[in-house]
Amino acid sequence: MSEEPIIRVENVTFAYNAESANPIIALRNINLSLYRGDYLVIVGHNGSGKSTLAKHLNALLLPTEGDVWVKGMNTKDPQHTLDIRSSVGMVFQIPDNQIVATLVEHDVAFGPENLGLPPEEIERRVEWALGVVDMLPYRHRAPHRLSAGQKQRVAIAGVMAMKPDVLVLDESTAMLDPVGRNEVLKAVRRLNQEEGITVIAITHFMHEATEGNRVIVMEAGRIVMEGTPREVFSQVEALRELMLDVPQPTEVAYELHKLRPDFPPDLLTVQEVVEEVCRRNGRVR
Amino acid sequence: MEGREPIIQVNDLHHNYLRGTPLEVTALKGVTMEIYPGEAVGIIGRTGAGKSTIVQHFNGLIRPRERGKVIVDGVDLADPAVDIRALRQKVGLVFQYPEQQLFERFVGDDVAFGPLKMGLPMDEVRERVREAMEMVGLSFEAFKDRYTFTLSGGEMRKAAIAGVLALRPKVLILDESTSGVDPRSRKELLGHISRLHEEYGLTVIFVSPNMEDVAELVDRVYVIDDGRTVMSGTTREVFSRPEELVRYGLGVPQITEIVHELAQRGKLPPTTVISVQEGKEAIWKILNSSAT
Repeated sequence: MSEEPIIRVENVTFAYNAESANPIIALRNINLSLYRGDYLVIVGHNGSGKSTLAKHLNALLLPTEGDVWVKGMNTKDPQHTLDIRSSVGMVFQIPDNQIVATLVEHDVAFGPENLGLPPEEIERRVEWALGVVDMLPYRHRAPHRLSAGQKQRVAIAGVMAMKPDVLVLDESTAMLDPVGRNEVLKAVRRLNQEEGITVIAITHFMHEATEGNRVIVMEAGRIVMEGTPREVFSQVEALRELMLDVPQPTEVAYELHKLRPDFPPDLLTVQEVVEEVCRRNGRVR
Repeated sequence: MEGREPIIQVNDLHHNYLRGTPLEVTALKGVTMEIYPGEAVGIIGRTGAGKSTIVQHFNGLIRPRERGKVIVDGVDLADPAVDIRALRQKVGLVFQYPEQQLFERFVGDDVAFGPLKMGLPMDEVRERVREAMEMVGLSFEAFKDRYTFTLSGGEMRKAAIAGVLALRPKVLILDESTSGVDPRSRKELLGHISRLHEEYGLTVIFVSPNMEDVAELVDRVYVIDDGRTVMSGTTREVFSRPEELVRYGLGVPQITEIVHELAQRGKLPPTTVISVQEGKEAIWKILNSSAT
């Protein structure tokens, strides 16, 4: 690709307590390029370095060794910190830590207000962002009275209202119910496909990993697998070795493949499995 | 189960938050359920449905003051004279972010806090701590002197559950306690919980938004929506009604969906599977029937 990556992670190693006698190495020589419009999903266990990596993307953490470039700006350059943070929006796992105001719409307006935008633009963004996460009817409610899933949608709206280039979701769907999760995933997909927002999603739900166009698997601070969802999830045994799940459609396809080698092992979605079974059932009849 | 008294009985329970203020919000408007000793029961529902409000009644964090009854082990919790300490030893509640339940410096001390407050002798406390830690898969020797803040997310959750188990409760409630842990820890936790249920006969109440986990762990499910019990039955019965579940903000495991879809296309009679193993067998039959 000749296009300049929007985010470039170059030989990044990161240690917590780097100066102390017992540094904890969280990232080991990570290299990663993200292009505009990418939807990257990062999976791996707690402690594998996923969140540490995510925090490097908007200069919350700076590499111990190596460099992170966002739109050509080095995150180590303090002059660019604000630019980088308005380009890379982040939503964390626990929404309570991210909500600041006493009314939902004020919370979502907090970011745009701090950008010094005119009131009409703020109003427009608040309405749009709350609409995207399906929280518009709650705009006059107090965030602390919402359930965890609703709060998370408000937090996502707050970041979306900043109109960042890159949206980083650090296990942001962990606390949502299935339909709420699907609504958020749909909103993220829409942002990615229609608004061209680059998305990086960290998740433990393997079927969410099929949303992206790229997946990386992290273990002990390293990227151990990388590819399209199909390439990564077809390696069922390697993932089991890492004690990671595979999406249920892939798991059943893989098990059927073992019984009958002509059954494709690398199906990702419910629909793909259903179609494959129907195709075979219809063909012989 | 027939002929046994339920350990928890909820009848037409109502609850309003901030009652009598302009901010009053109705959280429960008619919840009914029965939980029998030794059962593993799931409570599912969209966020905000009232699940946490229900389970917080079970150990007396919220008292039934309006319509409805909560009876735990024969005790009516509306009675102002209820011995709340005894109730909380009987019914252990693990919250959504169990790691926030930890407060001591050392893991062993944290797990020991409950039994110490019960005034048990030191060697009994030690024995209970050892037992509770081993039950959740934390080696007593390896972990008792670890700083709590050095634990991983999964280990923190295990330590918090051990702190509740050290009280030797009859009922263990997990209120979304496995959300947000990684797959390895989640599998381990689910494994330990189902062992506690199967080997020690612990009654388990499992609140989770993850349908795959519910399918794996519990025998029976109550679906809560908008403060009411709207569906109940065995896990298989409930998952055989996917359209209703979607209406209540839920869904079914993907493997259940695959087999339902195949049944709808006439490839097999209506079947509800709740595990990948069952799904594989159902699809295997379809594939073989076409080959002959």
